[in-house]
Order: sequence, then C-alpha cells, then structure tokens
Amino acid sequence: MATGNTYIEAVREALLEEMKADERVFLLGEDIATYGGAFKVTAGFLDEFGAERVVDTPIAEAGIVGAAIGAALMGLRPVAEIQFLDFLSCGFDQLTNFAAKAHYRWGAAIPIVIRGPGGGGVGGGPFHSQSVEMYFVKTPGIKVVAPSTAADAKLLLKAAIRDPNPVLFIEHKALYRAPALREALPGPDAVGVIGEAAVRREGDDLAILSYGAMVHKSLEAAAALAADGIEARVVDLRTLQPLDDEAIVEAVRRCGKVLIVHEDTRTGGIAGEITARINERAFEWLDGPVTRVTAQDTPVPYNKGLEAAFFPQVEDIEAAARRLAAY
Amino acid sequence: MKRFSAYEFPEYVDWRPDPEVQAGFAATITRDPERAALIDALDDDALVDLYRGLVAARLHDVQLKRWVKQGVITKAWLGSGEEAVTVGSCAALGPDDVVGPMIRNAAALIERGVSLVDCFAGYLGTTDSITGGRDLHIGDPDKGVIPPISHVGDLVPVMAGCALAFRMRKEPRVALTWTGDGSTATGAVHEGLRTAAALGAPLVCVVQDNQVALGTRMEAAYRGDFTAYGAAYGAMLLEMDGNHVLDCYAATKRAVDACRAGDGPVIIVARTFRMGGHATHDEREARELFDDAVYRHWGQRDPVGCYETWLVEQRGVDRARLEAVEAEVAAQIDAAAEEAKAGRGVREPDPATVTDGVYAAEAG
Ligand SMILES: Cc1ncc(C[n+]2csc(CCOP(=O)(O)OP(=O)(O)O)c2C)c(N)n1
Ligand SMILES: [Mg+2]
Repeated sequence: MATGNTYIEAVREALLEEMKADERVFLLGEDIATYGGAFKVTAGFLDEFGAERVVDTPIAEAGIVGAAIGAALMGLRPVAEIQFLDFLSCGFDQLTNFAAKAHYRWGAAIPIVIRGPGGGGVGGGPFHSQSVEMYFVKTPGIKVVAPSTAADAKLLLKAAIRDPNPVLFIEHKALYRAPALREALPGPDAVGVIGEAAVRREGDDLAILSYGAMVHKSLEAAAALAADGIEARVVDLRTLQPLDDEAIVEAVRRCGKVLIVHEDTRTGGIAGEITARINERAFEWLDGPVTRVTAQDTPVPYNKGLEAAFFPQVEDIEAAARRLAAY
Repeated sequence: MKRFSAYEFPEYVDWRPDPEVQAGFAATITRDPERAALIDALDDDALVDLYRGLVAARLHDVQLKRWVKQGVITKAWLGSGEEAVTVGSCAALGPDDVVGPMIRNAAALIERGVSLVDCFAGYLGTTDSITGGRDLHIGDPDKGVIPPISHVGDLVPVMAGCALAFRMRKEPRVALTWTGDGSTATGAVHEGLRTAAALGAPLVCVVQDNQVALGTRMEAAYRGDFTAYGAAYGAMLLEMDGNHVLDCYAATKRAVDACRAGDGPVIIVARTFRMGGHATHDEREARELFDDAVYRHWGQRDPVGCYETWLVEQRGVDRARLEAVEAEVAAQIDAAAEEAKAGRGVREPDPATVTDGVYAAEAG
C-alpha cells in the first residue's frame, strides 16, 4: 500500500502551514468551521485557530467572494472555500468583475484564493461535477491552478495564498482520497511556482498535455502505448492561467505531435487555446494535427453509463494517441 | 403508523402521543378563525387523503434509506419530519398550479401525481424518470412540477417567472416553491422575492425553516427574523406550523386564494425541524449539532404521529381506515421501488445518446 499523504491531506496541510506562518491568512466558507467542511478539509481548524480565522458563512457565494475581496483590500489574505465549484457561478460577478479588474483599473492587488472541489467522474450529476475553469481562464486578472498530485496540491496552494492576485484553485474531488496519489509531502518551507508545467513522463513519439484527474488517465494510456513501443511524453499543465508556453513549445519541438486531454467540455476548453498557441509559436515543428480528447459538449450526466460516455476514458486517450502516432 | 427501527430516527421508533403536544395540535387548528373554517370544510375523505400523503412521504424516505443500507444508492436527502410542509401546501393547490420542490420536498412529486416509479428511478438514473437518467433532480411539467437545480435558491426567481406568466395571461393559477432557511441567504431568493413583489406575481414562497443548513445551525447564518420578510419585501406574510399538516394546508390555502385574488406574492414561514442529517451520510454528525432535548422536542411533534392521533382521537376517524390506507401506500411504495430497481442494468440510457437533446430541435 502506498504511504504518505493524500491529496486532500495536502490541501489541509497547506492551509494549516500558511495560517500558522501568516496571521493575515483566514478561511471563510459554508460549513467550514463547526462542521469542518463538506469534504472535511478544515476539520479541527476551528479548535486550532478560532472563529475569527475560520469563518462559517451563510449560503451566499457572492457574499463569500465579495467579503474575501473586501478583506483583502483591508490587508488580509482570505482563502474562500466554495463547497462545490459549480456553486461559484453564484459568486461569478464578484470574482470576474470586482476582483479580476481591480488591479488593472486602479492598481489594487486582490490577494484572495477561491478554492474548492471541481471536476467529475464520481456520479455527481450536472451540478456537482462541472469543470468551471474556462469561465475564469478567459477573464484577464484571475490565475487558475489545477493540481494533479498531492505534493502539487500543497505546494501550489501555498503559492496561491502568497500570490498577490485572485487565484482560483481547483481541487479535483476524484483525487481527494485516491490511495494511489499518496506521497510524502514537501516540508513547510517549500512553495510551488504558479505558471510552470511538469513533465510526468518522458517520451519522444508524441506529447500528451493534460491537467487535473486526466493527467492520471493520460499516464495510464501512456503506459499502455509504451507496451507497443510508442513513447509518450506526458506534461501536467498544473496552471491554466498563466499557461506555461515554454513547456508547451518544448513538447512540440521534442515530439512533433501533441494530444491535449481534458475533462472539460470540448468547445471552449483549454485545448482550443493551446492549439492556437502552438500554431502561433511552434507550427513548423508539428508533424501531425494537434489533437484533443475532451468531454462531450453537453452537461455532465448523472447516470453512470452516460457519465462514462461523457468523460474521456483511458481507451479514448490511447486510441487518439495511436492514431496521432501513426499519422 | 408502523415504525421501522432500522431506518427511522429513534424518537420516531418509540413514538407515543403526548397529551400536551396533542392538545397544542388541536389548539392550532382553531387559533385562527379563517384557517379553522378552511379546515372545518374538509370532509373525512380529504382528511384521510392528507394522512395518505404524509404516510407516502414517510415510507418513500424509509425506502430510500433501506436502499442506502443495502448499497443500492450511496445516499439520500430525506424530508422525514418535514412532510407536513410539503404535503399540506400541495393539498391547497389546484391541478393547474405549478410547484418547484427542492429535493427535501420530494413528497411534492407524489402529491402532484408523478409516478412513484419515476421518483425512485430518479435516484437510480435509469430511463424511467423524466430526465432519462441525466439528473436525479426530477419533476414533471405535465403535472406542474418544475425540477430544481442543485444551486439552492435558484427556483425562487424561476417560479416568480411562472407566476408572472399566469398574471400576464390572466390565468387564475399560482406558482409555489419552497426554500430552506439557509437558502434564503442566496442572492437568487432575494432577487426572486423582490421581482415577484414588484411585479405582483402570484407566487407562494414557503420558507421552510428547519433550523439548520447542511452542517450549520440557522442562527449562525441568520440573525434576523423571517417573519419580517413580508414588510421587507412588500408581500403578504403568513406563518405556519411546519409539523402540522392541517395548519400548512390552511395557511397555504389562504396564500393561494390571495394570489388568485391578485394579492400575490405571499411568503409563508414554516417552522419545522430537520430530524436527520443533511443527507443519510451525515446523520450521526448532525445529531451533535443540537442537544438531545431538541430532538426529543421535535420528535414528539412527528407530523405523522400527531396527525394520526388527532384523526382518531379528535375527529373519530376509524383507525382501521387509516391502517388500510397505510397498507395500500406501503404496497404501492414496495411495488414501485421493486419496479424501479428492476430497471437497473435494463432501462439504462444508451451511452450513444449522451450528446442528444442539448438544444431543442423544434420551435414550440
Ligand atoms: C448555491 C449553493 N451553494 C451551496 C450549496 C450546497 N448546499 C446544498 S444544500 C445546502 C444547505 C441548504 O440548507 P437549507 O436551505 O436550510 O435547506 P435544508 O437542507 O435545511 O432543507 C447547501 C449549503 C448549494 N446546493 N447551492
Ligand atoms: Mg434548513
């Protein structure tokens, strides 16, 4: 059995350490204090830090995001939990119009983190499974981070809390307690870098670019491909805004073929943006069409069979990779 | 009614009528002359129908809990202990009215005549239900039931819009929805009420104050008083005993009549209590949110037990008649659950249809 900490424990540890290190850091959100959060990320925090720093709010996402913005303007470092990121839609205006535009308009940094569980594949249906990232990636002024490993969850959440900008931190709920993701976490002094991708697997035949839970499906597909002598480089984007352009160009240069995999829906998913950037910056290195494997352009269905058909599966990634490799 | 020790809250398993609580129950009926007259006008059949509704709601939840225990589903959101709010309000509606129930108001589906098989199939995600397995939040517009989305509060403006359409077309119909105490914090509820009031929409919005929202007690989230909403929003406001099906019926009837007379919207504050968890998965945790005495207090006010006792002891309805109703409902629930369960692996949506129907194909 794997030892070390889970992804959710990593999130917890990042919050704990940042709260201990910086008394300006505080948490707010629905059911996070007494109840310890819907996913128990903050269980025990109320006892440790008190009600001033672990704040239960009403069910008011605009209130939560807006209050985080205001508190940040007054010098605090709020970390707001959105119970399911699907519900961030109710705080959309505060984040995209108030927070995102403040620095551009009047030079005011808004150091807030909006964090919570996103993504699907756990039978959550249309309102507990969505990939909300692109609403915010396309809004200048917000950073968007989506870690795929426990260590990154810790390192990047710490980086997000220290970042002077609004950061949307997308935790993948299917990864929270995944035993395979257990690993030893970096110590309290380590902090990640927002905007840097990571190479999870070396390979030269094609590059698979992904993020979040799909990184693990991509790695599974890559292992299957390797059995047939196709070596895929798997790049974990980790941050969607800003994108690591260097890592993307590097992947094209090395492999000449790029497959982008995301569980977000197809139209308007990050694959389209990455494809455009490759065309702009690395077209001449391409040996095949930039290809994508994504969720379908529909809401996330509840039924298991429909859900499986909606989300990319390992076989879908593998098949697309084989076609691309043979191109 | 028969209690199920494996599935019901301990206070319900050992429930016995308490003379003082029953006296209070009877007193509530006559407290307001207008409501008393409305209740007085109900004949035995109508009264027994209300009982049927409460029993169906309770047994529906017992069935869901049985499924959770058996591993058929992973969890369920129950309305147990709050049935009177849903059943009583629905009883005050006519066939052309529309409702927007939250998941804790699943009894509204039964009341509106949505098939029990559909109700259970919603959880199973088979093709029986209206969403064909695409969502567990179900409804049926043909029966006047608008399915909710998970985002709490969002039904209120939508139901205000339904009501607006009725007003514009001069139809004597009303729209009714329920919103939890916690959900009243959302912008959507606020905007929905303001909109409905500004436009004079025949909307009944029941604030179902069960004193808790997920894992947080109501008073941590709201320091005000829901009964001030009437003055604040410029709408008629009524209060009702959320554990008293007759009071819920009569209060809602008054609200509906006011709406039909052009005096909508109406806000009704229903005081009740969530006996269980937010869902079945956190029942034990939820018990720690309140003292045992609070559970005992509200447990004694079991909407089914209190009403059943009143029917037999005060109204003189034959207990055998109620038992027959209960047996009939239990058989229906059993059969529906079995039929719904038999759909698993059989009436599953075809994965090839996953992209169908995102857009409407034909102009309406
Ligand atoms: C906009 C939004 N935020 C958060 C949630 C998560 N959530 C689901 S139910 C619930 C509590 C609702 O409490 P209340 O309105 O009192 O209804 P009750 O569950 O007590 O019936 C919460 C926070 C949600 N569904 N929608
Ligand atoms: Mg409540």
